[in-house]
Amino acid sequence: MNRFVRRLLAPADALLNRWYGWRFNPLYHSGALVVLTFVLLLVTGLYLVFFYRLGSPHASIVRITDQVWLGRWIRSLHRYASDAAVVAAAIHAVRMFAQGRSWGPRALAWVSGLVLVGLVLVLGWTGYVMVWDVQGIVLAREGARLLDALPLFSEPISRAFVGERDLPSAFFFLNLFLHVALPVGLGALLWLHVSRVARPGLLPPRGLLWATTGILLALSVLWPAPAGTPADLFRLPSRAPYDAFYAFWLPLTQGLPAVVVWVGVGFAGAIALLAPWWSRPRPAERRAPSVVNQRLCTGCEQCYLDCPYEAIAMVDRADGRAGLVARVDPALCVSCGICAGSCAPMGVGPPGRTGRDQLSRIREFVAARAPAGDDVVVVACTHGAGGVARDPTFDGAAVLPVDCAGSLHTSVVEYLVRSGAGGVLIVACPPRDCQNREGPKWLEQRLYHEREAELKDRVDRRRVRLVSAGLAEMGTVAAELERMRRDVAALGWAQRETDIALDAECDLEEVRP
Amino acid sequence: MSGVRRWMGGGALALGMTLALGWLSQVPYDAAGDAESMVRLAWRTRGTRVEECRRLTREELERLPVHMRRDEVCEGRTLPYRLVVVLDGQTAVDEDVYPSGARADRPLYVYRELPLRPGWHDLDIAFTRAPVARDTARGAEGERLARGDAAAPRRLTLTRRVRLGPDEIVLVTYDAEERRLTLKGPGAP
Repeated sequence: MNRFVRRLLAPADALLNRWYGWRFNPLYHSGALVVLTFVLLLVTGLYLVFFYRLGSPHASIVRITDQVWLGRWIRSLHRYASDAAVVAAAIHAVRMFAQGRSWGPRALAWVSGLVLVGLVLVLGWTGYVMVWDVQGIVLAREGARLLDALPLFSEPISRAFVGERDLPSAFFFLNLFLHVALPVGLGALLWLHVSRVARPGLLPPRGLLWATTGILLALSVLWPAPAGTPADLFRLPSRAPYDAFYAFWLPLTQGLPAVVVWVGVGFAGAIALLAPWWSRPRPAERRAPSVVNQRLCTGCEQCYLDCPYEAIAMVDRADGRAGLVARVDPALCVSCGICAGSCAPMGVGPPGRTGRDQLSRIREFVAARAPAGDDVVVVACTHGAGGVARDPTFDGAAVLPVDCAGSLHTSVVEYLVRSGAGGVLIVACPPRDCQNREGPKWLEQRLYHEREAELKDRVDRRRVRLVSAGLAEMGTVAAELERMRRDVAALGWAQRETDIALDAECDLEEVRP
Repeated sequence: MSGVRRWMGGGALALGMTLALGWLSQVPYDAAGDAESMVRLAWRTRGTRVEECRRLTREELERLPVHMRRDEVCEGRTLPYRLVVVLDGQTAVDEDVYPSGARADRPLYVYRELPLRPGWHDLDIAFTRAPVARDTARGAEGERLARGDAAAPRRLTLTRRVRLGPDEIVLVTYDAEERRLTLKGPGAP
């Protein structure tokens, strides 16, 4: 199921990468865009709350809207930012589901994310009731009707809106209180939502941040949100503008008994909660968490620093040697393998995917494929990378698939170059779309910026290239492969070494058995 | 892809998404559906409570702690009402209204909305308590009206001719002070 959704998303990703570049592709920053809209809502909301009057809610909204130079666009920005929050949250949820980032240790983020979405919708509901126009009264009445079906209140709250008496200010006070208090809960939930990831990217890159803010601002100035006809308890709600992002459920629920609506809400909620469970990997496909070889671990802390999920802790050694040793918490480890790429002595990683395991495989790969001195070997991530990792060859080039570019140990690249391959083209996912959050970022630093475990200086960098490509960007890979072939041909035939013992080299003297 | 085409494509998408956001933020919708005007019946009233009481035997009293010994114990229920609404000579509502609450001991709530075409309408409403044998009240056994019960009258009626304008709502409600049904709203006479 999630693979199917991912295939649907891939062309959209590719198109937006072409137009905006992967750095500013809004689809890759959907979660951060939700936080940005949250910030915009807080800032604009602070202004609006000063002018809102509990005794005359709609009149105060009209007064704000009449402030042509300030109030009108601030209120509109508040509204459009709340709409953008729903769009960005929906995209974010679909992406996380499609990428399978909602199961196992990531289930907390999925569940808290769903609660966040629910909270955002409730916040929108209170916000529109505050306006107390036609949409506000319809939302209030329908909400009250649904709540009355639950055994929560001693008296039906729908009675407040029948017109027996004027609505008390207490109602608007309670509504305002909820509208101001719920964001506090939203902030706490957001913290929980990102609590299992290291270095969460809470805001989009500056260019996208200002572009999004500017677009919403321009929309607010050029197409201000209407104030609406004031609510009247003795008039039927006439045709009026409704916010589809927050009132989308009205046409669905209005004709149904409240009990049926709640059953439907419960059913939809259960499906959303359980969708990752249904589409979880089969037991045979599930990856075991990383393990640490204590004999090889030097306590350098690099895996601890690189882990995108804070699943690795440094603890005191128990083997009599001084210093610290890495320890993986299996409950937090998603088996991304990034630690395998970070460990110079190749002592940590998921079973079968440590640096040493990768070296064993590359030896077999080289023996079987015997790349010539002008051949380019493509090392491709199985999650994206134009989908080229699916086949053993791409455009005539041998393909070495890796689970995540970030898990690739630089020794593998070195081995390929020293064993005589003309070039190594590493195809990673776009950094903000990495299945494991930070794989391409760390790989790039290991290849070119001396981050542990760095690619050694003795490796000719002209024969190594790193390129980003989404799942549907096979053309990008083909173009880059063609370019690299030309460059490699210009370099001449690569030299071949025969006795390459990188794993033995990585064993420190003191830890050799 | 050339820079100009990228800018044009990216700009067109951003513009399209922005306009879609603006439009979806204010989609016209008619929440009233087919209704053109409406009579709304909404009131809350305490129901009439009846009790069945009996005297405890000497043995039963002796089994109770001293401070809980009362000669008479009563178990009660709140009587339902029957709501009948006749609109322009046609029966629009004819149903029993039961007390709310899990033990059916809370007030009775009436909330019905009757869509109508605008214009003059004859409204005839009767809200009648279920019958109770009042004569049993003097006896020690059998159901009787609870003492000090501030319930609505046994029968509430309202017969009026009302004029409803387009989109107007007339509210029929219970005035607890006057102890009668009244009309509210722009169409109320």
